[in-house]
Amino acid sequence: MILPRFAFHKASSIDEALALHKEFAGNALYLSGGTDLVPRIKLRLAKPEALIDLKGIKTLETVEQDDRWIRIGAMATISDLMKNPLVAEYVPVFQASLESTSCETLQMRGTIGGNLLQNTRCLFYNQSEFWRKSKGFCLKVGGEKCNAVPGAAVCLANYCSDNAAALLTVNAEINVAGPEGQRQLPLGDLFSGKAGRPFTLKPGEILTHVLIPKKKTRGGYEKLRLRGSVDYPLLGVALSSGNEAVRLAVGAVGPRPYVFDMAGWEEQSLHDVIAQAKATARPAPNTVVETAYRRDMIPIFIERLAKRLAGEAK
Amino acid sequence: MEKIRITVTVNGDRVETDVAPSQTLLEMLRDTLELTGAKEGCGLGACGACTVLLDGKPTRSCIVLAAEVDGAEVVTVEGLAQGEHLHPLQESFMEKGAVQCGFCTPGMIVTAKGLLDRNKNPSKEQIITSMSSNLCRCTGYKKIIEAVEATASSRE
Repeated sequence: MILPRFAFHKASSIDEALALHKEFAGNALYLSGGTDLVPRIKLRLAKPEALIDLKGIKTLETVEQDDRWIRIGAMATISDLMKNPLVAEYVPVFQASLESTSCETLQMRGTIGGNLLQNTRCLFYNQSEFWRKSKGFCLKVGGEKCNAVPGAAVCLANYCSDNAAALLTVNAEINVAGPEGQRQLPLGDLFSGKAGRPFTLKPGEILTHVLIPKKKTRGGYEKLRLRGSVDYPLLGVALSSGNEAVRLAVGAVGPRPYVFDMAGWEEQSLHDVIAQAKATARPAPNTVVETAYRRDMIPIFIERLAKRLAGEAK
Repeated sequence: MEKIRITVTVNGDRVETDVAPSQTLLEMLRDTLELTGAKEGCGLGACGACTVLLDGKPTRSCIVLAAEVDGAEVVTVEGLAQGEHLHPLQESFMEKGAVQCGFCTPGMIVTAKGLLDRNKNPSKEQIITSMSSNLCRCTGYKKIIEAVEATASSRE
């Protein structure tokens, strides 16, 4: 599959990247590992005038720590983070989600920033332009109808980052640099809740760091997938506990991961959170398995994970 | 669109070439350098048939731009043999019958080479984890895993 024409520039600093973005009047995209973006451009789901490669910005690859945070550069690869002892020690939920991400070769190329900023997915959207044109363009690309659910008023594509669900359970935050300066925000605020445009980043902004509170947690991640490798999640369930708080996140069944606080580990809390998760999740007929199956797996995956973690704690 | 001059080491040879900004590494290898070992399967980074070593790491060359690899070292399946002598992985794939249609084989062998370069004595689980990056529609994988295992154990 042939790429369309675009310009290519390498940035060696954030300022240089921002200046390049301005030069192309906003019609440029930042490139990290490219494992999500390059296929999207091949399918004509993104049509940038220019790509700005961020891999020359070496300060974005490091993992640092202070008293409060583990500070991860957005260009750290999934594979590098899997091997980082801080991840295993403080955030086992993140270790588990990293290990479930795609396959080994793509883990070596894909970055955590790119993984968080992967676009929403749908069986009727992640297709070639030729294929999509034959059905009539859908809501996500500015068309007038949803090809997954006829009559749907909004896009129902799924946000499929395994790691976002995991990081939300440990209250991760992000640093963003843009034309108007830098800002720090909770990871949850990155998501618009709209599948058509899933992120709240302003034009030109770059996700520079992921910050994880440096507190020891217990946790895990369970992923529904057809194959043990490569696949995106059909459902992802992340659970973490630190001190008294227990937090659950459910991903890949809507435009963002959904987060729920649990009162504790006892049966009633689990029962309550499962009911909330089932009521909130929005699985649609836009993956390779039945919608009812994905919906039915929500309580099973939550319960399985919670019981495993409770068992490990004993 | 203006071409970009890159310098890259391919199978030990230093190559200077002009690439289009939207040219993939796979297109550069196959069309410009005529190294047609790496294959285009899905073209979307999902199948692994285009795998080459990029600075030692197995990498899907169909979703990497040629312009991204300026200054890097690339090894393709053509770079594994020593003169007339095939690489032990290539011998082992033949001996174990790990090749059927052969389309995935270059990517499989390069992925296995990446693993054995990192880990001289991988467990069967580690071999399965690494090799599950690549798709094969014919063999059912068993013979491929056996071929990699045999190569690893013969090197001990």
